[in-house]
Amino acid sequence: MTSLSYIFKEAFNNLGRNALVVLGAILAVFISLTLTFGTLVFGEVVRVNTLQWAKDVRVIAFLQDDMTPEATAELQNEVASWPQVADVSYVSKPEAFEEAVIMFSSNEAMLRTLEESPDLLPASLRVQPVDPEDYERIVIRLESTPGVHQVESAGDAIDAMIALRDGLQIMFWLLAVALGVAAVALIANTIHMAIYARREEIEIMRLVGASNWFVRTPFLIEGAMEGLIGGALAVTFIVVAQQLAVDRLSDLPDWINLAIQNDFILRRGALVLLFGVVAGLVGSSLSLAVHRTLRS
Amino acid sequence: MIKLENVTKVYPGGTVAVKDATLDIAKGEFVFLVGASGSGKSTIIRMIMREELPTNGDLWIAGKHANELPSWKVPYLRRSIGTVFQDFKLLPTKTVYENVAFAMEVTAKHRSVIRNQVPQVLKLVGLSDMADRLPRQLSGGEQQRVAVARAFVNRPLILLADEPTGNLDPATSVGIMRILDRINRTGTTVVMATHDHAIVDAMQRRVVELDRGRISRDESRGIYETRQTPVIEDSVAGEIPATQPEAESADEVPEVTVDEAVGGGPEEVLTQDTGDEAKA
Repeated sequence: MTSLSYIFKEAFNNLGRNALVVLGAILAVFISLTLTFGTLVFGEVVRVNTLQWAKDVRVIAFLQDDMTPEATAELQNEVASWPQVADVSYVSKPEAFEEAVIMFSSNEAMLRTLEESPDLLPASLRVQPVDPEDYERIVIRLESTPGVHQVESAGDAIDAMIALRDGLQIMFWLLAVALGVAAVALIANTIHMAIYARREEIEIMRLVGASNWFVRTPFLIEGAMEGLIGGALAVTFIVVAQQLAVDRLSDLPDWINLAIQNDFILRRGALVLLFGVVAGLVGSSLSLAVHRTLRS
Repeated sequence: MIKLENVTKVYPGGTVAVKDATLDIAKGEFVFLVGASGSGKSTIIRMIMREELPTNGDLWIAGKHANELPSWKVPYLRRSIGTVFQDFKLLPTKTVYENVAFAMEVTAKHRSVIRNQVPQVLKLVGLSDMADRLPRQLSGGEQQRVAVARAFVNRPLILLADEPTGNLDPATSVGIMRILDRINRTGTTVVMATHDHAIVDAMQRRVVELDRGRISRDESRGIYETRQTPVIEDSVAGEIPATQPEAESADEVPEVTVDEAVGGGPEEVLTQDTGDEAKA
Protein backbone atom coordinates (compact mmCIF):
# COMPACT_ATOMS: atom_id res chain seq x y z
CA MET A 1 0.00 0.00 0.00
CA THR A 2 1.18 3.47 -0.87
CA SER A 3 -0.18 4.97 2.33
CA LEU A 4 1.35 2.33 4.59
CA SER A 5 4.79 2.70 3.04
CA TYR A 6 4.37 6.46 3.28
CA ILE A 7 3.62 6.26 7.00
CA PHE A 8 6.66 4.10 7.73
CA LYS A 9 8.83 6.29 5.51
CA GLU A 10 7.67 9.31 7.49
CA ALA A 11 8.33 7.65 10.84
CA PHE A 12 11.88 6.69 9.83
CA ASN A 13 12.58 10.01 8.13
CA ASN A 14 11.63 11.64 11.36
CA LEU A 15 13.96 9.44 13.37
CA GLY A 16 16.74 10.57 11.05
CA ARG A 17 15.74 14.22 10.81
CA ASN A 18 15.77 14.90 14.52
CA ALA A 19 18.69 12.57 15.17
CA LEU A 20 19.89 14.42 18.24
CA VAL A 21 16.50 14.67 19.93
CA VAL A 22 15.73 11.07 19.07
CA LEU A 23 19.10 9.96 20.43
CA GLY A 24 18.26 11.82 23.63
CA ALA A 25 14.94 10.01 23.95
CA ILE A 26 16.47 6.61 23.24
CA LEU A 27 19.17 7.24 25.83
CA ALA A 28 16.57 8.39 28.33
CA VAL A 29 14.53 5.23 27.76
CA PHE A 30 17.72 3.18 27.89
CA ILE A 31 18.75 4.66 31.22
CA SER A 32 15.30 4.47 32.80
CA LEU A 33 14.73 0.93 31.60
CA THR A 34 18.25 -0.16 32.57
CA LEU A 35 17.57 1.07 36.07
CA THR A 36 14.11 -0.47 36.04
CA PHE A 37 15.37 -3.80 34.76
CA GLY A 38 18.43 -3.63 36.99
CA THR A 39 16.12 -3.03 39.91
CA LEU A 40 14.02 -6.04 38.96
CA VAL A 41 17.11 -8.20 38.61
CA PHE A 42 18.56 -7.00 41.89
CA GLY A 43 15.22 -7.59 43.56
CA GLU A 44 15.30 -11.12 42.19
CA VAL A 45 18.82 -11.64 43.56
CA VAL A 46 17.58 -10.56 46.97
CA ARG A 47 14.53 -12.79 46.69
CA VAL A 48 16.55 -15.84 45.62
CA ASN A 49 19.06 -15.29 48.41
CA THR A 50 16.52 -14.74 51.17
CA LEU A 51 14.79 -17.85 49.88
CA GLN A 52 18.08 -19.66 50.28
CA TRP A 53 18.45 -18.40 53.84
CA ALA A 54 14.83 -19.18 54.56
CA LYS A 55 15.58 -22.86 53.96
CA ASP A 56 17.66 -22.76 57.10
CA VAL A 57 14.83 -21.38 59.15
CA ARG A 58 13.75 -24.02 61.67
CA VAL A 59 11.30 -24.17 64.50
CA ILE A 60 12.46 -26.63 67.12
CA ALA A 61 9.89 -28.38 69.30
CA PHE A 62 11.46 -30.13 72.30
CA LEU A 63 9.44 -33.17 73.26
CA GLN A 64 8.46 -34.41 76.70
CA ASP A 65 10.68 -37.23 77.90
CA ASP A 66 7.82 -39.67 78.51
CA MET A 67 6.70 -39.92 74.86
CA THR A 68 6.42 -43.44 73.43
CA PRO A 69 7.93 -44.00 70.00
CA GLU A 70 4.38 -44.52 68.62
CA ALA A 71 3.16 -41.23 70.08
CA THR A 72 6.25 -39.48 68.72
CA ALA A 73 5.70 -40.86 65.22
CA GLU A 74 2.03 -39.87 65.42
CA LEU A 75 2.97 -36.34 66.51
CA GLN A 76 5.51 -36.05 63.71
CA ASN A 77 2.90 -37.13 61.13
CA GLU A 78 0.38 -34.69 62.55
CA VAL A 79 2.77 -31.72 62.42
CA ALA A 80 3.84 -32.71 58.91
CA SER A 81 0.21 -32.54 57.83
CA TRP A 82 -0.14 -28.86 58.78
CA PRO A 83 -0.38 -26.69 55.66
CA GLN A 84 2.31 -24.22 56.84
CA VAL A 85 4.84 -26.99 57.33
CA ALA A 86 7.21 -28.03 54.57
CA ASP A 87 9.18 -30.70 56.37
CA VAL A 88 9.50 -32.30 59.81
CA SER A 89 12.49 -34.30 60.97
CA TYR A 90 12.82 -36.17 64.27
CA VAL A 91 15.95 -35.84 66.32
CA SER A 92 16.15 -38.50 69.01
CA LYS A 93 17.91 -38.12 72.35
CA PRO A 94 21.10 -39.94 71.18
CA GLU A 95 21.16 -37.80 67.99
CA ALA A 96 20.76 -34.64 70.05
CA PHE A 97 23.63 -35.83 72.23
CA GLU A 98 25.88 -36.37 69.19
CA GLU A 99 25.01 -32.94 67.78
CA ALA A 100 25.85 -31.34 71.09
CA VAL A 101 29.15 -33.17 71.31
CA ILE A 102 30.12 -31.84 67.88
CA MET A 103 28.85 -28.34 68.69
CA PHE A 104 30.74 -28.09 71.98
CA SER A 105 33.83 -30.05 70.92
CA SER A 106 36.08 -27.23 72.09
CA ASN A 107 34.36 -26.72 75.44
CA GLU A 108 35.82 -29.16 77.97
CA ALA A 109 33.43 -28.31 80.81
CA MET A 110 30.37 -28.63 78.65
CA LEU A 111 31.61 -31.90 77.20
CA ARG A 112 32.14 -33.28 80.67
CA THR A 113 28.59 -32.33 81.70
CA LEU A 114 27.24 -34.00 78.59
CA GLU A 115 29.24 -37.18 79.21
CA GLU A 116 27.91 -37.38 82.76
CA SER A 117 24.27 -37.34 81.72
CA PRO A 118 23.77 -38.25 78.06
CA ASP A 119 19.99 -38.19 78.64
CA LEU A 120 20.00 -34.52 79.51
CA LEU A 121 19.08 -33.21 76.05
CA PRO A 122 15.50 -33.87 75.02
CA ALA A 123 14.37 -35.37 71.73
CA SER A 124 12.95 -32.80 69.33
CA LEU A 125 11.07 -32.21 66.09
CA ARG A 126 12.80 -29.86 63.64
CA VAL A 127 10.02 -28.12 61.67
CA GLN A 128 10.74 -26.26 58.42
CA PRO A 129 8.02 -23.77 57.41
CA VAL A 130 6.82 -23.44 53.82
CA ASP A 131 7.07 -19.68 54.16
CA PRO A 132 9.42 -18.36 56.83
CA GLU A 133 6.81 -15.69 57.62
CA ASP A 134 4.57 -18.45 59.00
CA TYR A 135 7.01 -19.48 61.73
CA GLU A 136 5.06 -17.68 64.44
CA ARG A 137 1.84 -19.56 63.74
CA ILE A 138 3.77 -22.81 63.78
CA VAL A 139 5.31 -21.85 67.12
CA ILE A 140 1.89 -21.07 68.63
CA ARG A 141 0.35 -24.23 67.31
CA LEU A 142 3.21 -26.38 68.53
CA GLU A 143 3.05 -24.84 71.99
CA SER A 144 -0.53 -25.98 72.42
CA THR A 145 0.18 -29.48 71.09
CA PRO A 146 0.24 -32.27 73.73
CA GLY A 147 3.64 -33.94 74.04
CA VAL A 148 5.57 -30.76 73.20
CA HIS A 149 7.58 -29.50 76.12
CA GLN A 150 9.04 -26.28 74.78
CA VAL A 151 9.32 -24.47 71.42
CA GLU A 152 12.34 -22.54 70.20
CA SER A 153 12.88 -20.42 67.08
CA ALA A 154 15.22 -17.70 65.87
CA GLY A 155 12.24 -15.31 65.81
CA ASP A 156 14.04 -11.97 65.78
CA ALA A 157 16.45 -13.00 63.06
CA ILE A 158 13.60 -14.23 60.88
CA ASP A 159 11.63 -11.03 61.42
CA ALA A 160 14.63 -8.89 60.54
CA MET A 161 15.30 -10.86 57.39
CA ILE A 162 11.69 -10.69 56.26
CA ALA A 163 11.54 -6.95 56.94
CA LEU A 164 14.73 -6.41 54.96
CA ARG A 165 13.47 -8.43 52.04
CA ASP A 166 10.06 -6.74 51.93
CA GLY A 167 11.56 -3.28 52.41
CA LEU A 168 14.03 -3.77 49.58
CA GLN A 169 11.34 -5.13 47.30
CA ILE A 170 8.98 -2.21 47.96
CA MET A 171 11.84 0.22 47.38
CA PHE A 172 12.78 -1.50 44.13
CA TRP A 173 9.23 -1.42 42.86
CA LEU A 174 8.78 2.26 43.71
CA LEU A 175 12.04 3.03 41.94
CA ALA A 176 11.01 0.96 38.93
CA VAL A 177 7.63 2.72 38.71
CA ALA A 178 9.20 6.18 39.03
CA LEU A 179 11.74 5.39 36.32
CA GLY A 180 9.04 3.96 34.08
CA VAL A 181 7.03 7.17 34.41
CA ALA A 182 10.18 9.15 33.59
CA ALA A 183 10.67 7.10 30.43
CA VAL A 184 7.09 7.80 29.32
CA ALA A 185 7.49 11.52 30.02
CA LEU A 186 10.75 11.70 28.09
CA ILE A 187 9.28 9.97 25.06
CA ALA A 188 6.24 12.26 25.24
CA ASN A 189 8.60 15.21 25.22
CA THR A 190 10.52 13.93 22.21
CA ILE A 191 7.36 13.33 20.24
CA HIS A 192 6.16 16.76 21.29
CA MET A 193 9.28 18.25 19.73
CA ALA A 194 8.88 16.11 16.63
CA ILE A 195 5.31 17.36 16.23
CA TYR A 196 6.46 20.92 16.76
CA ALA A 197 9.18 20.50 14.15
CA ARG A 198 6.58 19.26 11.68
CA ARG A 199 3.71 21.56 12.62
CA GLU A 200 3.53 23.21 9.18
CA GLU A 201 3.38 19.86 7.48
CA ILE A 202 0.69 18.67 9.90
CA GLU A 203 -1.34 21.84 9.38
CA ILE A 204 -1.31 21.25 5.64
CA MET A 205 -2.09 17.56 6.05
CA ARG A 206 -5.15 18.48 8.05
CA LEU A 207 -6.04 21.16 5.54
CA VAL A 208 -6.05 18.81 2.58
CA GLY A 209 -7.93 16.10 4.48
CA ALA A 210 -5.38 13.55 5.65
CA SER A 211 -7.20 11.22 8.02
CA ASN A 212 -6.39 11.40 11.72
CA TRP A 213 -4.63 8.05 11.79
CA PHE A 214 -2.57 9.05 8.79
CA VAL A 215 -1.34 12.13 10.63
CA ARG A 216 -0.82 10.37 13.95
CA THR A 217 0.50 6.92 13.09
CA PRO A 218 4.02 8.07 12.11
CA PHE A 219 4.41 9.65 15.55
CA LEU A 220 3.10 6.53 17.28
CA ILE A 221 5.53 4.38 15.31
CA GLU A 222 8.35 6.78 16.14
CA GLY A 223 7.55 6.61 19.85
CA ALA A 224 7.26 2.82 19.78
CA MET A 225 10.59 2.55 17.94
CA GLU A 226 12.33 4.76 20.48
CA GLY A 227 10.90 2.70 23.32
CA LEU A 228 11.86 -0.56 21.63
CA ILE A 229 15.44 0.49 20.87
CA GLY A 230 15.92 1.95 24.35
CA GLY A 231 14.44 -1.19 25.90
CA ALA A 232 16.61 -3.52 23.80
CA LEU A 233 19.73 -1.61 24.82
CA ALA A 234 18.69 -1.79 28.47
CA VAL A 235 18.07 -5.55 28.37
CA THR A 236 21.38 -6.16 26.60
CA PHE A 237 23.22 -3.98 29.09
CA ILE A 238 21.77 -5.71 32.15
CA VAL A 239 22.29 -9.22 30.80
CA VAL A 240 25.94 -8.45 30.02
CA ALA A 241 26.45 -6.69 33.35
CA GLN A 242 24.92 -9.58 35.28
CA GLN A 243 27.09 -12.11 33.46
CA LEU A 244 30.18 -10.06 34.20
CA ALA A 245 29.18 -9.75 37.85
CA VAL A 246 28.72 -13.51 38.17
CA ASP A 247 32.10 -14.19 36.48
CA ARG A 248 34.15 -11.54 38.25
CA LEU A 249 32.74 -11.80 41.74
CA SER A 250 33.24 -15.54 42.13
CA ASP A 251 35.06 -15.07 45.45
CA LEU A 252 31.96 -13.76 47.25
CA PRO A 253 30.92 -15.62 50.41
CA ASP A 254 28.85 -18.58 49.29
CA TRP A 255 25.72 -17.44 51.12
CA ILE A 256 25.40 -14.74 48.42
CA ASN A 257 24.33 -15.98 45.04
CA LEU A 258 24.33 -13.65 42.01
CA ALA A 259 23.31 -16.21 39.43
CA ILE A 260 19.72 -15.93 38.31
CA GLN A 261 17.58 -18.32 36.34
CA ASN A 262 17.81 -17.60 32.60
CA ASP A 263 14.08 -18.04 32.59
CA PHE A 264 13.67 -14.99 34.80
CA ILE A 265 15.96 -12.88 32.61
CA LEU A 266 14.10 -13.92 29.47
CA ARG A 267 10.65 -13.30 30.88
CA ARG A 268 11.43 -10.01 32.57
CA GLY A 269 13.55 -8.94 29.61
CA ALA A 270 10.61 -9.47 27.28
CA LEU A 271 8.47 -7.54 29.75
CA VAL A 272 10.94 -4.65 29.73
CA LEU A 273 10.94 -4.60 25.92
CA LEU A 274 7.16 -4.64 25.90
CA PHE A 275 7.16 -1.88 28.46
CA GLY A 276 9.52 0.13 26.25
CA VAL A 277 7.12 -0.17 23.32
CA VAL A 278 4.10 0.62 25.49
CA ALA A 279 5.93 3.57 27.06
CA GLY A 280 6.68 4.82 23.55
CA LEU A 281 3.06 4.48 22.47
CA VAL A 282 1.71 6.04 25.65
CA GLY A 283 4.27 8.84 25.47
CA SER A 284 3.46 9.70 21.87
CA SER A 285 -0.30 9.38 22.47
CA LEU A 286 -0.01 11.76 25.40
CA SER A 287 1.76 14.36 23.38
CA LEU A 288 -0.57 13.85 20.40
CA ALA A 289 -3.51 14.38 22.73
CA VAL A 290 -2.22 17.64 24.15
CA HIS A 291 -0.86 19.10 20.95
CA ARG A 292 -2.87 22.01 19.64
CA THR A 293 -1.99 21.47 15.99
CA LEU A 294 -3.70 18.09 16.09
CA ARG A 295 -6.93 19.05 17.72
CA SER A 296 -9.96 19.09 15.50
CA MET B 1 -23.31 23.38 -2.34
CA ILE B 2 -22.89 25.65 0.68
CA LYS B 3 -25.81 26.74 2.81
CA LEU B 4 -25.86 28.84 5.95
CA GLU B 5 -29.16 29.21 7.79
CA ASN B 6 -29.30 31.86 10.50
CA VAL B 7 -25.69 31.10 11.40
CA THR B 8 -24.22 32.90 14.38
CA LYS B 9 -20.67 32.40 15.55
CA VAL B 10 -19.58 33.56 18.97
CA TYR B 11 -15.94 32.89 19.88
CA PRO B 12 -14.97 31.90 23.40
CA GLY B 13 -14.59 35.21 25.18
CA GLY B 14 -17.78 36.58 23.71
CA THR B 15 -16.66 38.06 20.41
CA VAL B 16 -19.55 37.83 17.96
CA ALA B 17 -17.92 37.19 14.60
CA VAL B 18 -20.98 36.30 12.51
CA LYS B 19 -24.56 37.27 13.31
CA ASP B 20 -27.61 35.52 11.91
CA ALA B 21 -26.13 34.94 8.47
CA THR B 22 -28.17 33.20 5.81
CA LEU B 23 -26.46 32.38 2.57
CA ASP B 24 -27.04 29.87 -0.20
CA ILE B 25 -24.25 29.21 -2.67
CA ALA B 26 -25.05 26.97 -5.62
CA LYS B 27 -22.69 24.54 -7.31
CA GLY B 28 -20.37 26.28 -9.73
CA GLU B 29 -20.86 29.78 -8.34
CA PHE B 30 -18.05 32.28 -7.84
CA VAL B 31 -18.67 34.33 -4.71
CA PHE B 32 -16.68 37.20 -3.24
CA LEU B 33 -16.93 37.81 0.48
CA VAL B 34 -16.07 41.44 1.09
CA GLY B 35 -16.08 43.71 4.11
CA ALA B 36 -13.78 45.45 6.53
CA SER B 37 -11.28 43.57 8.65
CA GLY B 38 -13.10 41.82 11.48
CA SER B 39 -16.41 41.80 9.62
CA GLY B 40 -16.56 37.99 9.72
CA LYS B 41 -15.27 36.95 6.28
CA SER B 42 -12.56 34.68 7.58
CA THR B 43 -14.89 33.17 10.15
CA ILE B 44 -17.31 32.19 7.39
CA ILE B 45 -14.42 30.67 5.42
CA ARG B 46 -13.26 28.78 8.52
CA MET B 47 -16.78 27.47 9.14
CA ILE B 48 -17.06 26.25 5.54
CA MET B 49 -13.72 24.44 6.08
CA ARG B 50 -15.34 22.99 9.17
CA GLU B 51 -12.44 24.42 11.19
CA GLU B 52 -15.05 26.21 13.32
CA LEU B 53 -18.61 25.21 14.09
CA PRO B 54 -21.55 27.64 14.16
CA THR B 55 -22.67 28.59 17.66
CA ASN B 56 -26.24 28.79 16.37
CA GLY B 57 -27.95 28.00 13.11
CA ASP B 58 -27.36 25.30 10.51
CA LEU B 59 -24.55 24.83 8.05
CA TRP B 60 -24.46 22.47 5.07
CA ILE B 61 -21.25 21.86 3.17
CA ALA B 62 -21.24 19.75 0.00
CA GLY B 63 -24.47 18.09 1.07
CA LYS B 64 -23.26 17.34 4.60
CA HIS B 65 -24.88 18.86 7.67
CA ALA B 66 -21.72 20.28 9.22
CA ASN B 67 -23.26 20.72 12.68
CA GLU B 68 -23.74 16.99 13.00
CA LEU B 69 -20.63 15.78 11.21
CA PRO B 70 -18.48 13.80 13.67
CA SER B 71 -14.96 15.14 13.89
CA TRP B 72 -13.39 11.94 12.55
CA LYS B 73 -15.28 12.51 9.29
CA VAL B 74 -13.94 16.03 8.88
CA PRO B 75 -10.81 14.90 6.96
CA TYR B 76 -13.04 13.22 4.37
CA LEU B 77 -15.11 16.39 3.99
CA ARG B 78 -11.88 18.38 3.57
CA ARG B 79 -10.95 16.27 0.58
CA SER B 80 -13.79 17.91 -1.30
CA ILE B 81 -12.65 21.38 -0.24
CA GLY B 82 -9.52 23.12 -1.53
CA THR B 83 -8.08 26.00 0.46
CA VAL B 84 -5.80 28.90 -0.45
CA PHE B 85 -4.50 31.45 2.03
CA GLN B 86 -2.79 34.80 1.99
CA ASP B 87 0.45 33.26 3.30
CA PHE B 88 0.60 30.38 0.76
CA LYS B 89 1.44 27.74 3.41
CA LEU B 90 3.96 25.88 1.25
CA LEU B 91 6.46 23.44 2.72
CA PRO B 92 9.87 25.09 2.32
CA THR B 93 11.83 21.84 2.05
CA LYS B 94 9.70 20.37 -0.72
CA THR B 95 9.86 21.27 -4.39
CA VAL B 96 6.91 22.68 -6.31
CA TYR B 97 6.07 19.20 -7.56
CA GLU B 98 6.39 17.68 -4.09
CA ASN B 99 4.26 20.38 -2.49
CA VAL B 100 1.44 19.65 -4.90
CA ALA B 101 1.92 15.87 -4.71
CA PHE B 102 1.85 16.10 -0.90
CA ALA B 103 -1.90 16.79 -0.93
CA MET B 104 -2.42 13.55 -2.84
CA GLU B 105 0.10 11.44 -0.93
CA VAL B 106 -1.41 12.21 2.45
CA THR B 107 -4.89 11.43 1.21
CA ALA B 108 -3.61 8.03 0.10
CA LYS B 109 -3.86 8.49 -3.66
CA HIS B 110 -2.19 5.91 -5.80
CA ARG B 111 1.28 6.73 -7.08
CA SER B 112 0.23 6.45 -10.71
CA VAL B 113 -2.64 8.89 -10.13
CA ILE B 114 -0.22 11.34 -8.52
CA ARG B 115 2.24 11.05 -11.40
CA ASN B 116 -0.59 11.72 -13.80
CA GLN B 117 -2.40 14.54 -12.00
CA VAL B 118 0.38 16.73 -10.62
CA PRO B 119 1.90 17.69 -13.99
CA GLN B 120 -1.59 18.45 -15.34
CA VAL B 121 -2.36 20.81 -12.49
CA LEU B 122 1.07 22.43 -12.69
CA LYS B 123 0.36 23.04 -16.37
CA LEU B 124 -2.99 24.56 -15.45
CA VAL B 125 -1.33 27.11 -13.16
CA GLY B 126 1.53 27.68 -15.60
CA LEU B 127 4.35 26.26 -13.50
CA SER B 128 5.32 23.21 -15.57
CA ASP B 129 8.85 24.57 -15.98
CA MET B 130 9.33 25.16 -12.27
CA ALA B 131 8.37 21.75 -10.90
CA ASP B 132 11.81 21.19 -9.39
CA ARG B 133 12.19 24.59 -7.76
CA LEU B 134 11.90 25.20 -4.05
CA PRO B 135 9.37 27.75 -2.79
CA ARG B 136 12.10 30.24 -1.83
CA GLN B 137 13.25 30.29 -5.44
CA LEU B 138 9.83 31.51 -6.56
CA SER B 139 8.14 34.91 -6.58
CA GLY B 140 5.10 35.50 -4.38
CA GLY B 141 2.74 35.09 -7.31
CA GLU B 142 4.37 31.83 -8.33
CA GLN B 143 4.22 30.53 -4.77
CA GLN B 144 0.52 31.32 -4.62
CA ARG B 145 0.01 29.49 -7.89
CA VAL B 146 1.65 26.44 -6.30
CA ALA B 147 -0.79 26.77 -3.39
CA VAL B 148 -3.71 26.97 -5.83
CA ALA B 149 -2.41 23.91 -7.66
CA ARG B 150 -2.23 22.02 -4.37
CA ALA B 151 -5.75 23.11 -3.45
CA PHE B 152 -7.09 21.96 -6.79
CA VAL B 153 -5.11 18.78 -7.40
CA ASN B 154 -7.66 16.60 -5.61
CA ARG B 155 -10.41 18.15 -7.76
CA PRO B 156 -12.46 19.60 -4.90
CA LEU B 157 -16.11 20.56 -5.18
CA ILE B 158 -15.38 23.78 -3.34
CA LEU B 159 -12.35 26.07 -3.45
CA LEU B 160 -12.02 28.47 -0.52
CA ALA B 161 -9.63 31.38 -0.83
CA ASP B 162 -8.97 33.69 2.11
CA GLU B 163 -7.30 36.86 0.83
CA PRO B 164 -5.34 34.92 -1.80
CA THR B 165 -4.04 38.13 -3.36
CA GLY B 166 -3.43 39.90 -0.06
CA ASN B 167 0.35 39.64 -0.32
CA LEU B 168 0.59 40.18 -4.06
CA ASP B 169 0.86 43.23 -6.27
CA PRO B 170 -2.15 43.99 -8.48
CA ALA B 171 -0.68 42.61 -11.67
CA THR B 172 0.30 39.31 -10.07
CA SER B 173 -3.14 39.18 -8.51
CA VAL B 174 -4.70 39.21 -11.96
CA GLY B 175 -2.73 36.09 -12.80
CA ILE B 176 -4.05 34.31 -9.71
CA MET B 177 -7.61 35.45 -10.45
CA ARG B 178 -7.34 34.10 -13.96
CA ILE B 179 -6.44 30.69 -12.56
CA LEU B 180 -9.25 30.80 -9.99
CA ASP B 181 -11.65 31.76 -12.77
CA ARG B 182 -10.45 28.86 -14.86
CA ILE B 183 -10.93 26.50 -11.92
CA ASN B 184 -14.42 27.90 -11.40
CA ARG B 185 -15.24 27.15 -15.03
CA THR B 186 -14.57 23.45 -14.41
CA GLY B 187 -17.63 23.51 -12.15
CA THR B 188 -15.81 24.08 -8.88
CA THR B 189 -17.59 26.42 -6.51
CA VAL B 190 -15.23 29.23 -5.52
CA VAL B 191 -15.63 31.35 -2.39
CA MET B 192 -13.07 34.09 -1.97
CA ALA B 193 -12.70 36.55 0.88
CA THR B 194 -10.93 39.68 -0.27
CA HIS B 195 -10.17 43.35 0.28
CA ASP B 196 -9.14 43.83 -3.30
CA HIS B 197 -11.51 46.38 -4.88
CA ALA B 198 -10.01 46.16 -8.33
CA ILE B 199 -10.42 42.44 -8.59
CA VAL B 200 -14.00 42.37 -7.32
CA ASP B 201 -15.02 45.16 -9.63
CA ALA B 202 -13.29 43.63 -12.61
CA MET B 203 -14.63 40.12 -12.17
CA GLN B 204 -18.31 41.12 -11.93
CA ARG B 205 -19.34 38.11 -9.87
CA ARG B 206 -21.64 37.56 -6.92
CA VAL B 207 -20.62 39.77 -4.02
CA VAL B 208 -21.62 39.14 -0.41
CA GLU B 209 -20.73 42.04 1.85
CA LEU B 210 -20.35 41.61 5.59
CA ASP B 211 -20.71 44.44 8.06
CA ARG B 212 -19.77 43.62 11.65
CA GLY B 213 -20.84 40.02 11.28
CA ARG B 214 -24.06 40.65 9.40
CA ILE B 215 -24.64 40.11 5.71
CA SER B 216 -25.41 43.62 4.54
CA ARG B 217 -25.47 43.04 0.78
CA ASP B 218 -25.76 40.10 -1.59
CA GLU B 219 -25.64 40.95 -5.30
CA SER B 220 -25.36 38.53 -8.16
CA ARG B 221 -23.06 40.73 -10.28
CA GLY B 222 -21.71 43.17 -7.78
CA ILE B 223 -18.79 45.48 -7.23
CA TYR B 224 -16.75 46.00 -4.10
CA GLU B 225 -18.51 49.03 -2.67
CA THR B 226 -21.83 50.68 -3.34
CA ARG B 227 -21.98 53.47 -0.83
CA GLN B 228 -18.88 55.36 -1.82
CA THR B 229 -17.92 56.12 -5.35
CA PRO B 230 -14.70 54.31 -6.11
CA VAL B 231 -12.15 56.85 -7.17
CA ILE B 232 -9.02 55.00 -8.04
CA GLU B 233 -10.31 51.57 -8.97
CA ASP B 234 -10.89 52.33 -12.61
CA SER B 235 -7.48 53.69 -13.22
CA VAL B 236 -5.81 50.79 -11.39
CA ALA B 237 -7.83 48.20 -13.21
CA GLY B 238 -7.07 49.91 -16.47
CA GLU B 239 -3.37 50.02 -15.82
CA ILE B 240 -2.83 46.46 -14.77
CA PRO B 241 -2.37 44.59 -18.01
CA ALA B 242 -0.63 47.40 -19.83
CA THR B 243 2.05 48.70 -17.53
CA GLN B 244 3.00 45.97 -15.10
CA PRO B 245 5.63 43.64 -16.47
CA GLU B 246 4.35 40.74 -14.38
CA ALA B 247 0.98 41.10 -16.02
CA GLU B 248 2.65 39.86 -19.17
CA SER B 249 3.92 36.79 -17.45
CA ALA B 250 0.40 36.28 -16.19
CA ASP B 251 -0.77 36.50 -19.78
CA GLU B 252 1.77 33.88 -20.64
CA VAL B 253 -0.09 31.34 -18.57
CA PRO B 254 -0.56 28.77 -21.29
CA GLU B 255 -3.93 27.84 -22.56
CA VAL B 256 -4.72 24.56 -20.92
CA THR B 257 -7.43 22.04 -21.28
CA VAL B 258 -8.54 21.14 -17.82
CA ASP B 259 -8.72 17.43 -17.38
CA GLU B 260 -11.89 15.98 -18.81
CA ALA B 261 -12.13 13.63 -15.87
CA VAL B 262 -13.33 16.44 -13.64
CA GLY B 263 -16.70 15.00 -12.68
CA GLY B 264 -18.62 16.34 -15.65
CA GLY B 265 -17.29 19.86 -15.29
CA PRO B 266 -17.26 21.73 -18.57
CA GLU B 267 -14.09 21.41 -20.51
CA GLU B 268 -12.53 24.79 -20.35
CA VAL B 269 -10.07 26.50 -22.60
CA LEU B 270 -8.43 29.61 -21.30
CA THR B 271 -9.59 32.58 -23.27
CA GLN B 272 -8.67 36.21 -23.08
CA ASP B 273 -12.01 36.93 -21.41
CA THR B 274 -10.59 37.46 -17.96
CA GLY B 275 -7.98 39.82 -19.28
CA ASP B 276 -10.67 41.81 -21.05
CA GLU B 277 -12.72 41.85 -17.90
CA ALA B 278 -9.81 43.22 -15.99
CA LYS B 279 -9.51 45.99 -18.52
CA ALA B 280 -13.21 46.71 -18.58
